[in-house]
Amino acid sequence: MKKLAIAGSVLAVGFAGAVFAHSGATGVVKERMDGMAAMGKAVKAITPVMRGQVSYDADMVRAFAEEVRKHSGEAMTALFPEGSGGMPSEAKSAIWSDWEEFEELAEQLHTLSEGLAMAADNGLMAGTSTGNSGSMMGTGSMMNSGTMMNSGTMMGGGMMGEMGNLGLEELSELPADGVFTMISQTCSVCHTKYRAESN
Amino acid sequence: MRKSVLGLVAVAAIGATGMAAVAAWPIGTPPGEIKLDGDVDRGAYLARASGCIACHTDFENGGTPLAGGVKLETPFGALYSPNLTTDPLEGIGSWSLADFDKAVRQGISPSGKPYYPAFTYPFYQNFSDQDIADLWAAFQTVPPSAEPSKEPDMPFPFNQRASLKVWRALFLDPPRTKPIPENGEVWNRGRLLVEGAAHCGACHTGRNLLGARNVDSEHFKGSDMLPGGGKAPAIDYETLMARGWDVDSLAYALRTGVTPSGDAFGNAMGEVVLYGTQFLSEEDLIAIATYLMDDHG
Repeated sequence: MKKLAIAGSVLAVGFAGAVFAHSGATGVVKERMDGMAAMGKAVKAITPVMRGQVSYDADMVRAFAEEVRKHSGEAMTALFPEGSGGMPSEAKSAIWSDWEEFEELAEQLHTLSEGLAMAADNGLMAGTSTGNSGSMMGTGSMMNSGTMMNSGTMMGGGMMGEMGNLGLEELSELPADGVFTMISQTCSVCHTKYRAESN
Repeated sequence: MRKSVLGLVAVAAIGATGMAAVAAWPIGTPPGEIKLDGDVDRGAYLARASGCIACHTDFENGGTPLAGGVKLETPFGALYSPNLTTDPLEGIGSWSLADFDKAVRQGISPSGKPYYPAFTYPFYQNFSDQDIADLWAAFQTVPPSAEPSKEPDMPFPFNQRASLKVWRALFLDPPRTKPIPENGEVWNRGRLLVEGAAHCGACHTGRNLLGARNVDSEHFKGSDMLPGGGKAPAIDYETLMARGWDVDSLAYALRTGVTPSGDAFGNAMGEVVLYGTQFLSEEDLIAIATYLMDDHG
């Protein structure tokens, strides 16, 4: 039993290393995996900036936004032609049964990336150093009662809430890390719905 | 392992001798009266942390908050999360505080039926009276929805609620939330959340053939028995460390979904963050991460 458990954790560690390896994929599947991996790498690089752990650099933020822009919207959806699911793809069939929603999320990511480029000079919101930016997401609270913690709501917090409706102009006024949080949440929403497990 | 064999024998024995004796077997204890005032905000926060909103809201189909209807496919059949709004017929609008207490901390319905452990009440057993009062106050603020609560869709013998009494007797252990004072406040707050309200072990701990968690041998070692056939990775501290996590990155991931590799959570963990942990306070996320990253056996 113990041996099994050890073998299991060794395997698990092996898989962790393979997250972006996407071995065996070719053609359009490989192309979209590479696009996702490029965005992942960019997220990894920009996260310390957005968290205020290293000094803020608007050019880096714009470069990150451009990386996301290149791989989102139509550039992304074009790489998911019908019938391109199944091994070794990690795409769920829901992509094609909910195509409009998938398209909308890809488009939203595109808008957010453009918004982030425009917001890059705004810097981080005051006091960012602990990553508490989730609280600006507008959770549509029905109680709205000056909560002692950042979420006294029973009802709010639908996946996208208000943020799906923000236009470029509004995004351009926000602190950069606020837009970044929306970007990472969009990634997560899309992965939740449309990406099969890789672990 | 032995328990699951025992359980199978017990189920077979019940099948052979009839359910009458088991049906008459009393379960639970009458809840004591709670006279504390509930705090709505604190209750709403705890409901978030405990996954009430995540599991009892059909986000996928644009469902009304807390009106239930989320389908859970288990190896024993399908269940639907029930309506927890204040509707008196379909929801919990006609319940008393004592009914609510018994449901949450004991897993027993107002009519005395044991709930399936798909409802994660085993993790809520050590909720304090104040926790229950707060949750109750928060649930009172939820507008009614007449969305019907659906019955489980289970084959025999799992459709026999009385068989759950056997399950309870074999497997219903208290959660490991007991503080260990020398480990400090942060660690203990983390333990309370991880082993209790946030019920991480519901997905990340392996289960036996009867769907009970192997808390001694597989605690946080991952599971491939998630509803719908999903898998959850191991989150014991050794695996987490080997995968590049630390307290800071784990707390950040629970807020944003972003992992140390720059990936973003998907699947069940994506939902956990989107509907649950992103709303928790920074202090609580750090407490959760501190506890998970520590060698606590």
